[in-house]
Amino acid sequence: MEALSLYDLNLRVRSVLEDTLSEPVWVQAELSSVATRGLHCYLEFVQKAENGNTFIAKARGQIWANKWALIQPYFEQTTGQPLSPGMQVMVQVEVTFHEIYGYALNVLDINPTYTLGDIARRRQEILRQLETEGIINLNKELELPVPVQRIAVISAEGAAGWGDFQHQLVNNEYGLAFDVQLFPAVMQGERVEPTIIEALNQIAAEQDRWDVVVIIRGGGATSDLTGFDTLALAENVAQFPLPVITGIGHERDDTVLDLVSHTRVKTPTAAAEFLIHLGVEQLQRIDSLRASITDAALQLLHQQQMRLERVTGRIPSLWELYKTNHLHRLDTSLSELQNTIRTILDRQHHRLELVSTQLDAADPVRIYRLGYSVVRKDGRAVRDASMLRPDDEVEITMERGTAKARIQ
Amino acid sequence: MNTELTYTEAMKLLEEISRNISSGELDVDQLAAKLKQAKELVEFCKQKLQAVEADVNQILNNEQ
Repeated sequence: MEALSLYDLNLRVRSVLEDTLSEPVWVQAELSSVATRGLHCYLEFVQKAENGNTFIAKARGQIWANKWALIQPYFEQTTGQPLSPGMQVMVQVEVTFHEIYGYALNVLDINPTYTLGDIARRRQEILRQLETEGIINLNKELELPVPVQRIAVISAEGAAGWGDFQHQLVNNEYGLAFDVQLFPAVMQGERVEPTIIEALNQIAAEQDRWDVVVIIRGGGATSDLTGFDTLALAENVAQFPLPVITGIGHERDDTVLDLVSHTRVKTPTAAAEFLIHLGVEQLQRIDSLRASITDAALQLLHQQQMRLERVTGRIPSLWELYKTNHLHRLDTSLSELQNTIRTILDRQHHRLELVSTQLDAADPVRIYRLGYSVVRKDGRAVRDASMLRPDDEVEITMERGTAKARIQ
Repeated sequence: MNTELTYTEAMKLLEEISRNISSGELDVDQLAAKLKQAKELVEFCKQKLQAVEADVNQILNNEQ
């Protein structure tokens, strides 16, 4: 039996492949690993079954340095992301076969739009799912507490974004105080989801200590955002009991995380500015309340002063009136008293005069003066001539002197 | 004159004297004494008014 050497077999496979697949072809696949060694990039492509769990195809591939130098910036500028595992790509490849290394795909070109479309489609799927679950707007519906001062930050330790954020908050020109604590998480690659969820759980365990959660990462030249586009992360953030602010440092488009968070800003610095702005708003509100209270108090004071002045202004004239009334009353009562007393004295005087006139009238001297005389017999005045008998001796009293006489 | 007498009490006494004299209840012998007392009461009341006026003026001047 004749047998081929392995080398001959591989040579034959190679020549068959090179003959039948001599032209480059476009192929769609998922990246399962991406590694750069030297100036080259080594990849592994896979295709999963419809149920998504089992591989139905697999191929190694590479992008040689001359192509990689073009493909890498082109892809990253278009998609905003580096080539990374889990990504769906459309690449133009040459099918190669090497006697030692075997089957491999040599990448010549890439279609970043396909990847973008895939990312967008996956986002749409996640968003649809969140909508179905009825939680997509839950975090947005939370009200920001007043004031927002206790900030739980999820970021990578030592990351530039975290430093920028702290610096911006601490050095705010309004003197606003913030209590900031970092809950470290991995902000790039596959560990984004589990570490951020872990950090969120830590914060939720002491949620009374915090006003808001801020998820930030520094924007590098390239940014791998695929980790932020996962359903589990979106569900955690959407249902988180505190408002979540995202500033994950990218300009191009929003991740699912941005779409479900309470507030989305572009950069860590912008996140700090947002928090400072909230504080400034409260300061302004306090200032305006203080101003209106001061105004109201001054107005009230002014009104009362005017009232007091009016009342005070009336005091002298009121006093004058009071004094005049009382003086008048005193004077009047005294003069009335004097008049009364005078009247009483006059009346008494008059009575005395009357009595003395009556006395005068009764005085016999007055009768004698008129020429009348009084005849007395035995000392008693004779009022009736029949009382007298001849030879009675009587006494006759005249104005001047008394004479004795005998009745004939 | 009783120094503890108030203005109102003095006025009451004054009115009482006035009433007694007007009603003719009083003996003539008492008239002069009562009139003297009335004059003293009037003087007392006037002095009180003057003292109050001095106080009032001082208070008003201090406030300006």
